[in-house]
Amino acid sequence: MRLWKSWIVTQKDLSVIRKNKYVFYSLIAMPAILGIILPVTFVFTLNAEVAVLSHDQFLATARELINISATYLVLISAILPSIIASYSFVGEKVEKSLEPLLATPTTDGELLLGKSLAAFIPCIAVTYIAAAISALILDSWSYIRLGSFLIPNLFWVASVAVLTPLACIMSVEANVIVSSRVSDIRAAQQLGGLVVLPIIAMLLVVVVSAQISMILAILVSIILIVADLSLFYLSKETFQREEILTKWK
Amino acid sequence: MIDTEDLTRKFGSLAAVENLSLHVNEGEVFGFLGPNGAGKTTTIRMLCCLIGKTSGEARIDDLSVDKEKDCLEIRKIVGLLPENVGLYESLSAYRNLDFYGKLYEVPARLRQENIERLLELLGVWERREDAVGTFSKGTKQKIAIARALIHDPKVLFLDEPTANLDPEAAKTVRDFILELKKEKRTIFLNTHNLEEAEKLCDRIAILKTRLVAVDSPKNLERSLYSRKTVVHLENLNAEVLAAAKQLGKVKSVRASDNKLILDIDNPEEDNPEVVRAIVEAGGRIRYVTELRSTLEDVYLKLIREASAQ
Repeated sequence: MRLWKSWIVTQKDLSVIRKNKYVFYSLIAMPAILGIILPVTFVFTLNAEVAVLSHDQFLATARELINISATYLVLISAILPSIIASYSFVGEKVEKSLEPLLATPTTDGELLLGKSLAAFIPCIAVTYIAAAISALILDSWSYIRLGSFLIPNLFWVASVAVLTPLACIMSVEANVIVSSRVSDIRAAQQLGGLVVLPIIAMLLVVVVSAQISMILAILVSIILIVADLSLFYLSKETFQREEILTKWK
Repeated sequence: MIDTEDLTRKFGSLAAVENLSLHVNEGEVFGFLGPNGAGKTTTIRMLCCLIGKTSGEARIDDLSVDKEKDCLEIRKIVGLLPENVGLYESLSAYRNLDFYGKLYEVPARLRQENIERLLELLGVWERREDAVGTFSKGTKQKIAIARALIHDPKVLFLDEPTANLDPEAAKTVRDFILELKKEKRTIFLNTHNLEEAEKLCDRIAILKTRLVAVDSPKNLERSLYSRKTVVHLENLNAEVLAAAKQLGKVKSVRASDNKLILDIDNPEEDNPEVVRAIVEAGGRIRYVTELRSTLEDVYLKLIREASAQ
């Protein structure tokens, strides 16, 4: 597989995404809500608790809420790809651009990787921006209130650095598979939203287990890596050029 | 350059293309005519390695459409203008061509030169930075043609290049194909437009799932209907008509207004004698012309025959 070929497809898709206002604003909206509104809500909640809790209880509650904010970041990265990746091939179908694209000397794997990267990059970038804003708000509050920074902690770093990209990749691949199998944008987005649900459920288990034991979290992360690779392989296997050209009207 | 042997493609029990055997020479403009659903687009898709075949053989420049490795090579030497232009509407004309140039592995400098040359030739260079979505159908078609040529392909497949274009845009596209013909590029042209096929193509194949006929437009016209000699007279009278009918070399005579329409086996050789006989019978000839069947006549006859079978 020639990675530079995939990168050409990625660059083109990113240009198209930038010009698509619906996709662009949808991408920005959710992290803006979860990256700003959620930590601000946590800050207000904690401020309300400060009078009734001891210092240790207050610290424990603050740490718990910070871990919940990290959980939300993992979930955002799993939800966002349904906006872009579900559009991946169906968008090409709508513009009727798939036939000339498939006529180029590009393999299925290169095409799929390019399209997956084009969905992954903005989703993960937006999630990390949300993580940075969230960390800034929560750390500013904790420094003022407690005299120390609560972020980063081990769980937050593991969630953002490991689980977030893995969740994002899994969701991207599932949505790319859906997108290459259906021929209608609405169907792609609805099905894309549906396939994300079990992924979210699984991620919740992972995140909760991570809070219980880091070894368990590492094990589940390995399972996620294997699942990501398997989904990419599956997307390659289920990608049928001929079916797309002859059955899509 | 293009060879097929009993090429067949079935969708379930329905045969889209059946036992197609043809040879297209290098530098030839080859027209592919047929009604809707005749298998023209399916043939192009098989030849471009976009879809597989059910049976038979197909080769382009000695590369087989069967082998995955050969298919990647075929895609490098083939340019395709599909029925739908399929451009990225939100991207500029330049960005569209640049993207495809990169996928076709054209080096950066050559890619830039090719884009400029093609857009200049097609009169779109000034609007190269405008989003494709703002262009007319004709301009989009021109950009799609430029896209098919961005990697300087040996073989060009054009699927209905002037369909849905206004006469002016269609003429620009046709003129451009004529320019490509001068470059001795192999062009495989799917079209419904018989006049266009006659003007542009060296040879024409008529397809209706099966190959119905293949020859040059002139030979096709000659093969089905004999040519007729039309003698335009100042005044057609009974003596002149009788004299024409008496000539042994004339197979049939038809009078229409002041014209005699004569069916003659070998007009180049026999016309002088026929003209002399008419003049001797008192006929005053204004001029003599040739009446030929058109490609449309031939096409319709062959398609009707193929449908009846």
